[in-house]
Amino acid sequence: MAALEASSKELDQEMGIATDGNQYLTFTLGDELYGVDILKVQEIKGYTAVTRIPNTPTYIKGVLNLRGTIVPIVDLRCRFNMEETKYTMFTVIVVVVVREKVVGLIVDSVSDVLNIAKQDIQDPPEFGHKIDTSFLNGIGKAGDKLVAVLNIERLFDETTLPGSV
Amino acid sequence: MSSDLSQFNDAFFEEASEHMTSIEDGLLQLEQRPSDLELLATIFRSAHSIKGVAGMLGFTGVAQFTHKMETLLDQLRNGKLAVTPPVADLLLRCTDVLKALIGEAKGGEKPDAAQVGHLEQQLADCAAGKVLTANQAPSAPAPVVQVSATTGPTALDAPPHPMQFTIGWTPPGNIFQLGLDPMQVIKDLRNLGAVSHLKVDAGKLPALDTMDPEQCYLAWSLVLDTIKPQEVVEAVFEFVKDDSILSVLDTTPDPPVAAPSAAVAAPSPSHVRRTADDEGDVKPLGAILVETGAVSQEELNNALAQQKKVGEILVEQHVITPQQVAQALETQKHAEATAQAKKSDTATIRVDTAKIDRLINLVGELVITQSMLTDLGKNFSPVKVPLLLEHMAQLERNTREIQERVMGIRMLQIGTAFQRFPRLVRDLAQKSGKKLQLVTGGEETELDKGVIESIGDPLTHLIRNSADHGLEPPSERTAAGKHEIGTIRLNAYHEGGSICITVEDDGRGLNRDRILAKALKQGVIQEGEKLSDDQIWQLIFQPGFSTAEKVTDVSGRGVGMDVVKRNIEALGGTVGIKTTTGKGTIFTLKLPLTLAIIDGMTVRVGNELYIIPLVSIVESIQPKTDTVRTIADQAELINVRGAYHPILRLHQAFNIDPEHTDLLESILVIVETEGERVAVMVDELVGQQQVVIKSLEKNFRKVPGVAGATILGDGTVGFILDIRGMLDLTRRSELKVA
Repeated sequence: MAALEASSKELDQEMGIATDGNQYLTFTLGDELYGVDILKVQEIKGYTAVTRIPNTPTYIKGVLNLRGTIVPIVDLRCRFNMEETKYTMFTVIVVVVVREKVVGLIVDSVSDVLNIAKQDIQDPPEFGHKIDTSFLNGIGKAGDKLVAVLNIERLFDETTLPGSV
Repeated sequence: MSSDLSQFNDAFFEEASEHMTSIEDGLLQLEQRPSDLELLATIFRSAHSIKGVAGMLGFTGVAQFTHKMETLLDQLRNGKLAVTPPVADLLLRCTDVLKALIGEAKGGEKPDAAQVGHLEQQLADCAAGKVLTANQAPSAPAPVVQVSATTGPTALDAPPHPMQFTIGWTPPGNIFQLGLDPMQVIKDLRNLGAVSHLKVDAGKLPALDTMDPEQCYLAWSLVLDTIKPQEVVEAVFEFVKDDSILSVLDTTPDPPVAAPSAAVAAPSPSHVRRTADDEGDVKPLGAILVETGAVSQEELNNALAQQKKVGEILVEQHVITPQQVAQALETQKHAEATAQAKKSDTATIRVDTAKIDRLINLVGELVITQSMLTDLGKNFSPVKVPLLLEHMAQLERNTREIQERVMGIRMLQIGTAFQRFPRLVRDLAQKSGKKLQLVTGGEETELDKGVIESIGDPLTHLIRNSADHGLEPPSERTAAGKHEIGTIRLNAYHEGGSICITVEDDGRGLNRDRILAKALKQGVIQEGEKLSDDQIWQLIFQPGFSTAEKVTDVSGRGVGMDVVKRNIEALGGTVGIKTTTGKGTIFTLKLPLTLAIIDGMTVRVGNELYIIPLVSIVESIQPKTDTVRTIADQAELINVRGAYHPILRLHQAFNIDPEHTDLLESILVIVETEGERVAVMVDELVGQQQVVIKSLEKNFRKVPGVAGATILGDGTVGFILDIRGMLDLTRRSELKVA
């Protein structure tokens, strides 16, 4: 039985399935590298025009028709109060599942899928009032790269994106 | 195995509700044609099916109660009892209880045990040949046509007596693949009585290396002592009997003589004890002790409180550890929770297989079209453009047809919603002492399942209203030269893209003066206000508006009609009234075919497109200088033929960069909901189209003023305006005029 478990684990790793939840999809916003738990990512798609939703926060850019499903799209730069850039053909939407809702995140570009061991992720540092770090799970190190590991649930409060009904 | 059976529960509830309808319907007809044996047989079959499956799935309450109904029905079927109005009435009341019991099995509230017991008693009395007295069957005889039939039993049936069956059973080899468990059958037999001489024949068991573990090689033989008749015993094998080798032999040693004297004789005490579980009429020891005064209820409770739970006893005996008990309790709790969760309504739909077949054919065509396009794409040249266009057209046709058919799956015949009303009218007639009949038409008209489920209540209110207010008592009707039986007509038909349902009565019609007087008294209208007839009739939909002179059991507290209007409008429909004094009233409900697709008007504001549901649009106008007024320089009003409506600038409400900010260059779409109107300012009317409603809340949240989303022709998302929300937005932006 133990042998079976071990071999299935190896197989999982070969197939790139994170068995202990330490694989992250990383993407960039400017020069910064961010990561989300790969199990929360549904798909990655190029940017297409969205329909604005009236009277919503500015970081919610609108909704998109994702094969018949209406999906809200969030600009992460805008959410983090970073300088906004023009959307180009390289702009990417990372579609994630938050509280059973499907949401698209607009990022500059997608980079690698990285394995980051738990011990290589340190708690987010405190910057005082200047920067809100509540949406970070921690700071990860992958080689010489620094990855800000996102807690996507905390990106949205209950009024913006209520939990599943 | 028994837990696996729960997967059949939903199917059972669906089936049971169909059988209930057929029973109720049959009973109502039986009142009119008491000697129709065919009808009795149908009712009996339905009851029998409910009993069989309920028993198998472990809904013993339902099975037991149905069994008692069945006993009486059997007497009627065999002609041993006559169908008299009190009997029919009793059976109808039983269907109510049975519905409640099924509801309980579904996870609903427990029906009143006293009532159930009372009815069971009456059933037993009735089956035993006791003529029902007026006291036992409190309601009056059948309302529509007086049924004349000789009362009293013609013969007595023997009460259940102990029987013995010798059963041999070889289940089909593939019984496990059928999802059944032979042990469950044996267990079910045990529930019927005492099983003795149980033997397993393992002679056919092959050698281990040639054995297929999914095959059943065993056979059983046993002797069953029971008081149930042979059919009931055979019913246990209902699901497996087709492929089984089964013999059920009546080997009762000394068959009792079915003489009337024996039949009336009380069962022996030992018999009672054995059947306690089946009949449920033996009191617990405590209750008897309390009744005889040996102990007080309090003493009994104290004694019961000292009883140890099985877990505690086992722990004390060191058989198990407290941790194990805690674990087991946890498992139990979890099982309860999941059972509860499972019980919560899983909506199912029964679809005509012909519909599915058509759909499968269509998908087949779609696949062919798709492969033709693939072929074309592989070696494409500009000469083939006409061919491409042709294939594209075919693709479009396929897709559209599939969409229509898929929508059609949700469409059910409205007859299912009409079925409950014969009973309602019958009860209303009994309560009011009026003579009523219900005539229905257009049952085959198809309507969205969601709509069908939601129109039941409004229709009930309308029919009540007709019975209570519209139709006169027989004496008044004959005096007016009408037939003494009042008629309520329920009809459904297609009209354009909508469904119309009419509730028509040939009663006295609405009383214009009385409605006006009441409206004046309530301050709904002002003295001297001029109203069209239609406006007056619409007044009865005001909350708290009732012209009934006295509050009756049926209606008259003024609730009802406003609910009708609200519910119908919530479905995107309208209610119309036509009435002629002395001749009657017609209520017409106009409903959209489906809730998933609406007719919409696409409007443009700046670069954005919005869809306004067509049902809400009254008209669109281009404002002129002299029709626009402002109040306090803020609130804008538009004068449409004398009436002022507030203007909502959509670009302000939704923060859109508009093409026009000048009212005079824009278009005002006058929309109405619940009788209130607002003029929505837009740049352009783009066009009318059907739109499929998509949920915005599924992945986001509710947005004020937006009812839902849809996908426009170019694949982008458009929002459907929420008219009620628009009105609220008007108020929030302080455009409200007092």
